[in-house]
Amino acid sequence: MEPRIPELGRFAEPALLILVSLSDGPKHGYAIMADVEAGTGRPLGPGTLYAALARLEERGLIEALAPVDRRRPYRLTATGATLLAEQLRELSEFADLGLRRLGRTPG
Amino acid sequence: MIGRLIRLYPAHWRARYGDEFAVVLEERPLGPFDVADVLLGALDAHLHLRGLGAASQHGKGFAMSLRIGGYAAIAGGALWFVALAGNAINDGADSGSSVLGITLVTAIVVATAATLVALVGLSAFQSRRHPVLTWTAFAIPAIGAVVGLLGVVAMAVAGDTDTTFIGGLSAWAVSTIGVTALILGSALFAVATWLSGSLSRAAAALLFVGALLVVPAIGGVTGGLVPPVLGYLALVTAILAFPIGWIALGVSALRIDGPRPITLEGAPL
Repeated sequence: MEPRIPELGRFAEPALLILVSLSDGPKHGYAIMADVEAGTGRPLGPGTLYAALARLEERGLIEALAPVDRRRPYRLTATGATLLAEQLRELSEFADLGLRRLGRTPG
Repeated sequence: MIGRLIRLYPAHWRARYGDEFAVVLEERPLGPFDVADVLLGALDAHLHLRGLGAASQHGKGFAMSLRIGGYAAIAGGALWFVALAGNAINDGADSGSSVLGITLVTAIVVATAATLVALVGLSAFQSRRHPVLTWTAFAIPAIGAVVGLLGVVAMAVAGDTDTTFIGGLSAWAVSTIGVTALILGSALFAVATWLSGSLSRAAAALLFVGALLVVPAIGGVTGGLVPPVLGYLALVTAILAFPIGWIALGVSALRIDGPRPITLEGAPL
């Protein structure tokens, strides 16, 4: 059975944000952190970032590439990309449901 | 400091992530938020390796967040209102041994702890632009909290607020110095928050005004430094502005931490 992001517990949200950040190509740790913070306006601490990265790597959702100047980029694996797409689709369906109940057409 | 922080992680973790983690920590100034987040991350890594964390409990772990700071700021603000208003009404008549006295001391101790957590949790963005100011805003209240706690313990042990404690100062005076340091640190934090614009500037301004008015208000009412009417006016303003400032900062942090739209194409996210 494929791992699911909700099983990452407290790190589910940072993990999802990291996967989205990696969806347009490999990034190293600081670039992921800066990207997530710029996109959400919320801080992502370095301890939380690496706790989530370790869990994602452990579950085979991301993989590390060869380091460049001590910076190691990460990229999505095929499993990670599938899981991310599924997770985002579920979120989108949930958002659509909420919008319909509010009487607003999903955009 | 970076080397010491990384050494807190298990050797196995350091061997895998240590080098790249050091680069991330070197990229920007570390503030209280980042240090607390790394400490929690190290604790999580130890529990994780022992099978007590993510692997066995569906990924539950420790993470510092604005949410923690926001809730702490709200709780601390409410308790500061109880402590400051209760103390003003009590007017120092209670020795601290009655139910009211114990309640006020407990409120101050818990409010102090909550404020320290809030200073850490809400300082993520301030420390990147104003690291010295943000660290000072944390260090002064932290030292004040220790000093204040010593005074409170001394009062509890002696059962008397007037007993000479340190350097000819009474235990009550020592605890008051501690609380004053915490309040002045809050003023510095309000300045850092205002300058960075990371949280509500109106809340930061309210906290700054409240923090600055507490000391002259107490001096005006009890020491005759200013006319009584002005003293009481400052006191009432401080009693309202300081707690409401913290609560408003907490609310603004929780608003930021709430759901936000995320775009998937291009940078940013």
